[in-house]
Amino acid sequence: MNAVKKNMLGFIVPVLILTAWYCCTVFTNIPNSLLPKISVVFQSFQEMLLSGQLLEDLGVSIGRVLKGFLCSALAGLTLGALMGMSKTVTALLLPTITTIRQIPVIAWIPLIILWAGIGEESKVVIIVIAASFPILMNTLSGFTSTPNGLVEVARLYKLNKWQTFTKVYLPHALPQILVGLKLGLGVSWMALVAAELIAASSGIGYRMNDARSIMRSDKVMVCMIVIGAVGILMDKLLSVIFERLTPWIRTAESKE
Amino acid sequence: MTENKAIEYIINVEHLNKQFIIDKQPMDILKDINLQIKKGEFITIVGHSGCGKSTLLKIICGLVDYKDGIVERNGHAVAGPGPKCGMVFQDHRLMPWLKIKDNVGFGLKSLSKPERQETVKRYLDLVGLSGFENSYPSQLSGGMSQRAAIARGLANKPTILLLDEPFGALDALTRIQMQKEILRIQKEEKTTMIMVTHDIEEAIYLGNRIVVMSARPGEIKEIIDVDPVEGKKRNGKRFNEYKQKIYNYFFENEKEREVS
Repeated sequence: MNAVKKNMLGFIVPVLILTAWYCCTVFTNIPNSLLPKISVVFQSFQEMLLSGQLLEDLGVSIGRVLKGFLCSALAGLTLGALMGMSKTVTALLLPTITTIRQIPVIAWIPLIILWAGIGEESKVVIIVIAASFPILMNTLSGFTSTPNGLVEVARLYKLNKWQTFTKVYLPHALPQILVGLKLGLGVSWMALVAAELIAASSGIGYRMNDARSIMRSDKVMVCMIVIGAVGILMDKLLSVIFERLTPWIRTAESKE
Repeated sequence: MTENKAIEYIINVEHLNKQFIIDKQPMDILKDINLQIKKGEFITIVGHSGCGKSTLLKIICGLVDYKDGIVERNGHAVAGPGPKCGMVFQDHRLMPWLKIKDNVGFGLKSLSKPERQETVKRYLDLVGLSGFENSYPSQLSGGMSQRAAIARGLANKPTILLLDEPFGALDALTRIQMQKEILRIQKEEKTTMIMVTHDIEEAIYLGNRIVVMSARPGEIKEIIDVDPVEGKKRNGKRFNEYKQKIYNYFFENEKEREVS
């Protein structure tokens, strides 16, 4: 299948969805407050963009995601690497981590609000709780799946522990660490919107909830679409960075 | 006494026994191995798969530990890998994230950059991989990867090189070419080499001595001296006699098994 054909196929479903949406608003009598017309949504988008409100909300949210994501990455990578290199640390921490991981992040929100209020700190904490685990687990498995044979080569050439870490374990774990970071970023974005919906006085999630309370479903939909678009953009950005960091993966695929 | 031995033998293995625990059951892998190797010798080991040949090589280069017996390199008991003892593994074990040139230069950390480049280039030429310096292992065929691994093994000029079926993944023509090359390198650099192989003709062609091993537990059946001239004539009468002799070892083994 060539690239053009592949891209064309990808457009079929979105076009169908838009057509269905259009038909629903024109040929049925679903109230506009529940399902706004596409043109109305587009108008609201323009209004929100021009008034600066959209970018302000988005800026606040993205700032929180970046802060939370960086903290999560730091925590997840450090712990994952420590656990990956030491069975003792793994035995010490893994049972606790697996248990805590079972609690959905939404379930943490009430407690976090009690402890940290609805300010910036609570958003960052919620993101860290949500995003650290996928980063940690992927980092851990990247390290522990390093083939013994390659470690043996390092031993044969008398690499010390640190050299073995940087020259064998780390590059082997890198592709999977990157998968973890990508997942973590997605989860950060999701957790943040959830937190903003429940308790916030700014940000894109807050704006959605605010619009809902005044029955402006068009504004709600603008926010949803923007959240999706920003998520895709961040994901693509990471993909581009990662491809540069792991050139050997791409060549492996292009051989097929 | 031991001092004399140290001078005479670069590798000395005496009464070596090795067990692995498999499913909580101890299993004899190597039984009473005795092998003395002089500097510059080329030893080939033939035997069934699973007869502990690879384990023996790993013990000699210090990757697998041993408790029962004596294993010495240069007169010193083996207590871990050393810089002068290289090994080429059965699977190529190249680092997937390193370009071929960096894989070949993996053990050359003590050299300066130009020296390193020079050495890498020389050994890549030698194994016929020039032009692939900047490829990743995933872009190479199995045989090419194996040749890169051989280049890596040779590049840091070990005095002892252990080869664990290094030519197994090569096609017949490349294989014969590599056999010639390895003999040439061995003569030039006076490297002591031990090669494990399944190929009886390869064992005769390359070896000054052939170690015939039986399987489970791995025991040395016989060590055959190969005539330095006749052993290189692949169609010679003596060559075929050697071949027949080694075939008989495995054939007899099967007979015994049928009777018991």
